[in-house]
Amino acid sequence: MKFLGYILRNARRNPVRSLLTIASISVCGFLAMILLSLFSTNNEVRATLVPYNRVITMSAQGFTQPVPIALAREIPAIDDRSGIHAIVHRESDDKPLVSPFSWYGGKFRGESATFFAQFGIDPDTLFDIYPELTIAPDQLKAFKERPDGTVIGRKLAEDKKLQVGDAFELKGEIYPFDMNLTVVGIFDGPEKRDLRTCYFNWNFLNEGLKRDFQGQGANNAGTVLMRCKSDPLVARLCVAVDEDTKSSDRATKTQTEDAFVSQFSEMIKDLQTYINMVGLAVAFSLLVICGVAMAMSMRERTSEVAVLRAIGFQKGQILFMVLAEAVLIAGIGGFIGTFGTMFLFKFWDISPYTMGFFPFFYIPTAVAVTGFLVSVVVGLLSGLVPALRAASLPVIDGLRKVV
Amino acid sequence: MEREPAINLRHVTKSYRRDQIQIPVLSDLSLTVRQGEFLALMGPSGSGKTTLLNLIAGLDRPSGGAILVQESDLALMSDSQITKWRSDHVGFIFQTYNLIPVLRAQENVELPLLLTKLSRKERRERARTALRIVGLEGREDHFPRQLSGGQEQRVAIARAIVTDPYLLVADEPTGDLDRASAEEILLLLEQLNQEFEKTIVMVTHDPQAAKRATRLLHLDKGKLVADVAQERGAASPVAQEQAS
Repeated sequence: MKFLGYILRNARRNPVRSLLTIASISVCGFLAMILLSLFSTNNEVRATLVPYNRVITMSAQGFTQPVPIALAREIPAIDDRSGIHAIVHRESDDKPLVSPFSWYGGKFRGESATFFAQFGIDPDTLFDIYPELTIAPDQLKAFKERPDGTVIGRKLAEDKKLQVGDAFELKGEIYPFDMNLTVVGIFDGPEKRDLRTCYFNWNFLNEGLKRDFQGQGANNAGTVLMRCKSDPLVARLCVAVDEDTKSSDRATKTQTEDAFVSQFSEMIKDLQTYINMVGLAVAFSLLVICGVAMAMSMRERTSEVAVLRAIGFQKGQILFMVLAEAVLIAGIGGFIGTFGTMFLFKFWDISPYTMGFFPFFYIPTAVAVTGFLVSVVVGLLSGLVPALRAASLPVIDGLRKVV
Repeated sequence: MEREPAINLRHVTKSYRRDQIQIPVLSDLSLTVRQGEFLALMGPSGSGKTTLLNLIAGLDRPSGGAILVQESDLALMSDSQITKWRSDHVGFIFQTYNLIPVLRAQENVELPLLLTKLSRKERRERARTALRIVGLEGREDHFPRQLSGGQEQRVAIARAIVTDPYLLVADEPTGDLDRASAEEILLLLEQLNQEFEKTIVMVTHDPQAAKRATRLLHLDKGKLVADVAQERGAASPVAQEQAS
């Protein structure tokens, strides 16, 4: 602590250089945080899905191929027949918590692209399958009763300034017909759920296909979503469903919700490798930036270090002071770049600008802490060579530089 | 009564290696510096004055011989031990002052005290006392750039005496100063020697400065060619010769 004042003064010795170094590290930290959080956010969200024991059945050929709606009825039967009894049944009417989950993908009110998720589902079971989503009872009742009703997430309602009773028109992009819906409810939920999704009655979508598309694509569920009791039963149910369908023309792949979500990460796994490499390049750049700044700074102070050594400062104390200065500068830059970015995205929701690609984006605390620690390590490494040089400089050589 | 030896050099040699060539700087030099002496080292450039000063101050090690201080041989001390010895017993005064530009006068003076166990308050008090001794009371908060050359050298002297060392080494302390400022610094060194009984070893080219010493050593080609005790203020024969 005795040396802190001297270390702080040295860090401010050349304010422009120190500020530029700090700014460089902050910008690198900002970029690294965004890149690394793309995947970490996904992993954190996936982890929060696990306790709900939701299972998704999709076509064995991939989620772009639909499975027939009949499966939504057959899967509970398979569950019973196999004696697994994994699917949760609603207490009031013993209805299995199963729902079709069919992507519509339309443009909202003349927008240039699809900016939010739109699914045809079973209004009767959806909010039992997603107990973490909340909706007012009268709105849920209206959703169940009104065929053209839609419920939308709170953030979507805020973005589009929509209220219950407003018209909600989606222009078909995949299907050649539009969906003229009415907002009957606005749901809310935890931060780590997509609150920009719109749900509507699957039957309304199916009727549209029959009416306006000569029945093409009708009676398909897209995927089938269900809620199960416990993790061990889930694995058995997945095997049973896929076994039952494997010899048919509608072979399925059944998996947990988090495994389903992870498919999207897997699809861009190569990108993740590149992003990690960019992260390493950023760390290396930081090392060079800090190293150059510290080397320049120490070169200018050769005689001062020699004076300190002459008046009795030990090599270890010189080493400590130079390293502390490097860590201080890198640490300040790292702190601004990591926790500053985390703070920024806590209050700045960028989802509306990502064309729906990131329904939510934030910097996980673990990523920010890791980034900050990396900046501290970079500071240590960058200061090491100048510090060792300064500490091992023969005193008379250092003094000769000025005398 | 003859005073106790402060530093005893016995058959000290020093040579530097440049590429494959061995360059002798000091050869078989024996010298005793007694406590309370004010020693001036003179000689032409390359005669080994600064090398001898560096050896006495423990900044450099001899190639041969012994340098005894309080029964210990500096040549046999580890780097850490000799650094500690310097911090406890030696004060340095450089030609170009060598103050830390980002620290205020008081903080510069306080610097050697950071190595002691003194509290912050005690360090402050000692630094103020040292500045008062060198006549810089009221300049505690000035940065070196806000001081004149003479004032900077006074701060450097305050830094040198703040730990109360018994030995002060000064390498051309007036070399960068005008005559008036140089005179003030020499008076201050005289005062430190007489009133505070500091042992001072000073390298100088200036015969006027050398007059202030109580003993004058003249080096030439690494050898001690004259060792003259002198009355303070009297011009020694060597100094007179140099001046002419």
